[in-house]
Amino acid sequence: MDDIYDLRSIFLGEDSPVRDLVISSLEGTPLEESAGSIAFAAGTFAVVNIVFLMLFFSQFAILWIERKAVARMNDRRGATTALRSLWVGENGVTAGEWWNMLPFGAGVPVGAVNRWLNKKFGNRDENFATVDRVNNRSWMGYSIFPGFFQNVADGMKFLLKEHMVPRRADKLIFEVSPFLIVSSTLLILGIIPLSSGIYATNPDLSILYAIAIFGIAPIGVFFAGWSSNNKYTLIGGIRSAAQLTAYEIPLLLTLLSVAVLSGTFNIIESIHFQHSAGAWNLFLMPLGAALFLVTMIAEVERVPFDMPEAEAELVEGWWTEYGGMRFGMLFMAEYIRTYAACFLFTHFFLAGWHLPFQGTISQIPLLGDAYVLIPGAIVVLLKSWLVFLVVFVWARFSLARIRTDQILEFGWRMLLPLSVLQLVLSTLYRLFLFDPASMKDTAAGGNAWMIPGLEIPMLLPLLTTLLWLGVFFLLLNDEDKDAAPDRMYHVYTLQPAGTHTPGKD
Amino acid sequence: MAQMWITMGPQHPMTHGLWTLRVKVDGETVVDTEAELGYIHRGVEKICESRDFTQVTPYCDRLCYVSAMTWANSYIYAAEDLLEADVPERAEYIRLISAEIQRLASHLMWLGAFGPDIGNLTLMTWCMRDREMFLDLLQELGGSRMHYNYPRIGGVKRDMPIGFADRVIAKTKLFEKRLDEYEMMLDESTIWLVRLQGVGYANAEEMVNAGVSGPNVRAAGVNYDVRWAHPYSVYDEIDWEPAVEKPTSVKGADCYDRYRVRMEEMRQSCSMILDALNKIPGGMNTNYASGDEMIFTKAPTRAPEGATGFSNYECTRGASQFYIQGGGDGRGKNPYRLSIRSPMFITIPFVAKTMIGYKIADIPAIMGSFDPCIGETDR
Amino acid sequence: MGTSITQEQNASAATACLEAINARFEGTGITASVEHHSNAKKYAFVRMTCPPQHWIALAKWMRHDLGVNYCSMVTGTHFPDGPDERGWEVAYHFLRQPIQDQTPNTHHVIVAEELTGMDIPMEFEVFMPLAQGDSPSVPSIQSIWIGADWNEKETWDLVGIRFEGHENMHRVLNPHDSPEGFHPLQKQHKLRYHDHNEMYDDAQGFMRKPADEGRVK
Repeated sequence: MDDIYDLRSIFLGEDSPVRDLVISSLEGTPLEESAGSIAFAAGTFAVVNIVFLMLFFSQFAILWIERKAVARMNDRRGATTALRSLWVGENGVTAGEWWNMLPFGAGVPVGAVNRWLNKKFGNRDENFATVDRVNNRSWMGYSIFPGFFQNVADGMKFLLKEHMVPRRADKLIFEVSPFLIVSSTLLILGIIPLSSGIYATNPDLSILYAIAIFGIAPIGVFFAGWSSNNKYTLIGGIRSAAQLTAYEIPLLLTLLSVAVLSGTFNIIESIHFQHSAGAWNLFLMPLGAALFLVTMIAEVERVPFDMPEAEAELVEGWWTEYGGMRFGMLFMAEYIRTYAACFLFTHFFLAGWHLPFQGTISQIPLLGDAYVLIPGAIVVLLKSWLVFLVVFVWARFSLARIRTDQILEFGWRMLLPLSVLQLVLSTLYRLFLFDPASMKDTAAGGNAWMIPGLEIPMLLPLLTTLLWLGVFFLLLNDEDKDAAPDRMYHVYTLQPAGTHTPGKD
Repeated sequence: MAQMWITMGPQHPMTHGLWTLRVKVDGETVVDTEAELGYIHRGVEKICESRDFTQVTPYCDRLCYVSAMTWANSYIYAAEDLLEADVPERAEYIRLISAEIQRLASHLMWLGAFGPDIGNLTLMTWCMRDREMFLDLLQELGGSRMHYNYPRIGGVKRDMPIGFADRVIAKTKLFEKRLDEYEMMLDESTIWLVRLQGVGYANAEEMVNAGVSGPNVRAAGVNYDVRWAHPYSVYDEIDWEPAVEKPTSVKGADCYDRYRVRMEEMRQSCSMILDALNKIPGGMNTNYASGDEMIFTKAPTRAPEGATGFSNYECTRGASQFYIQGGGDGRGKNPYRLSIRSPMFITIPFVAKTMIGYKIADIPAIMGSFDPCIGETDR
Repeated sequence: MGTSITQEQNASAATACLEAINARFEGTGITASVEHHSNAKKYAFVRMTCPPQHWIALAKWMRHDLGVNYCSMVTGTHFPDGPDERGWEVAYHFLRQPIQDQTPNTHHVIVAEELTGMDIPMEFEVFMPLAQGDSPSVPSIQSIWIGADWNEKETWDLVGIRFEGHENMHRVLNPHDSPEGFHPLQKQHKLRYHDHNEMYDDAQGFMRKPADEGRVK
């Protein structure tokens, strides 16, 4: 279902004002015959830049989300005192209960939830009132999102730092590898649509293109590690190359499963498919979604997979010798890849710009029309940010680092078979459980996933999700201590925490 | 790829202090190691030959700066042995409480450095935040957060302030609940277990032969502790047991065991503090003036030539010993020779050999699990 | 109540060690006695004096027959003004610890009051006076206890006492390129400031003279 906000039609459509403007301004000039092409070029140039700038600058939002979430988790002041500090009142008064400012009493339930959360999880010891000042910073008394421009300032700081090349480094490759990494990363942003009408380009095989582009960076990483003439970076580069290679294959197979399920290699088509067929891919292939997230965390080298840049041993790994803006761009490239991964997850599994239950709700008379007015781009951004927060940031601040050989073992011996399994399942779903006649491209969507014989809509996604959730909980609770020594990993504890009484057992 | 020597240190995020570990690696596997110490050798033993016995105490604080109170106490017991001083019982209790609070702070510092070594960056801020509670308590006692100069030969400098006992009890009880949170986050995390179990085996007899002591050996299954083996304070009057952990394999204790031993030690320290506060003579809410006979007895200041004293003390990282010979300058006002035995000086070369056969990524895990502190190593 | 070694256990262990030592080494120049700490609980420990030529025999016997499994400290002291037979002294400190390897997944909780015989922990002090001179040397016990290894390195590095038979002797606390024969804890090396007032009154050392001032160069 197309989103109603269509940027491309403003610049590139048949009756777009920009096109008319360009053509009319070129009438009478020698360029009149090629006015159409020029209008197309101008329009494309404008669209690509606008989309790129939107994507690039909205990235600061995820940097801000990560800082704030990690700080809250580290700060341990209780669950929701954290929420309060997101809004600061005038003149920097104490972070108020901002929900009281919402109209029509919309904040009352928020306040109730806040009080309940504070009672259950908050720091109940009133004897230790810690200082409030840090959370209440404001600028000139006003602040919307405190700390938002910290990352901009960090970026500018990188520009001022010295750029060094180690004496016996391989100069050409040393200089070239950041460009390889960063430019390939930015190419990904080219195919990410923010809405059905807001995208830079939409090749037919954009899923394959995304995978291919993700795969260029390991070469750059290996170049960087080798050329710095530093044993640490060499080890880091090799680890990184091994890890990225190992995890690209399950990633590819998972995306193939998505393509099989959607019947197309095009991102926008697959988003439309999810709406027309009536089920988000997340519920049809939860295993694939989990695999995608895990392999993406490994691809972008975030904790728990950040062994190549493990600061404890390798002091930033393959980035060690870079200074100044090259380091800044490499750092930024990691976040751009993470952001791109969040976007891809949103598009492949969460149906991009479609709102939850859009098909059903849009049928309700007034509410449905208002529902559809929400811009698709905002929906995509919010979903991506949510994915980033819940998956990438949460994993980062609560998990430790896995060792390189364990990462590789995990990737080759566990994820690869699982992704093959997912591919098989997707194929079976598409062959036997898919009813092409029930696909509808209307606002209401269709219901193409049916168990043959049971014509109940949404039953198949529901059953699939429940099945995999059940498998997940079963695996979570498997506590067969006798089997522990035979397992690949020791996933048991000798004594459950807190129960060991010295001298008594 | 051929084998190559990698130099980790002296400036390196892993090393927990200033020393160099050179490892020879074959791919990712460690084949040989060499430890180089001595970067912060300050010559404390030589300096102390020109200092009064009372002037030596601040130097001992600065030996292991993370665990200063225990080192000062360790020296004070040796000096009392040399000078034949008596210590009132209330002072012993206060020394015990301060040493156990210091043990908590030191183990929290260890955990706060160990977590990021393994990759869990949240632990750093959590542990630092909880350690602040205990640094505040020690500040009340000694006047500063890290180097207190608190024990005196014959007692302690001053008594516990009014209200100190209440604050100790509140913070200790809060911390015991926090320990449950730590264990919940770590012991139920597969990644944590996978990184620590099966890594860095060291078995008990070899460790004892090599001079390793303290929690590192208790992780291998025997609860030997200087506090009961060579008793030196009122530990036999309070209710406690040394934390001990079952070793995982015939090869001995792995990093996970050493980590669990310290968590249990933290619990034991909490209960020790609470018990000692209940049993302290004179009550926990009384405050005697400095120099009062309840907390301090005047000790002789000169030691004749030929007198010796030595003390055996359970520091946070092992058994520390001081050996002092009297008869120095000033007709015996200064020690003639003051010799410091630091557990970590002996442990670090041993640990360097333990790492052989494991991966590079295991180096911070193994090193961190033995809890190095270079201040005491290099003196 | 907390467990701890009692006075009786400690006294009995000390006397048992003393009898064993005397039985084995009576008349060889190795003397032993039971001393008491002057602090805390005034516990007993065993002090021995041993001439260097008998040191290896004593050390091996201690290790294997007396159960001393922990070499704690090796201290060297320089007595330039001492008697002729005691110009240097090496003081060894050992502990006997009842620690054994455990089978996996078991642990051994020692109840202190129940320890008997050779299991009772005991401290040992061994003094080894060496003659005046420039090159004191002592046999190395590196092969008997691994813990003596770096202790001996430190003693040589700081005090200058050589350990015969010690493999791979090198500087540990002083820089690796320290001059040959420079051992800072010998008494002829003086501290720069003997009085802390010097440090405070002339912190930047404007009044200081170089250490070799007045020497004809």
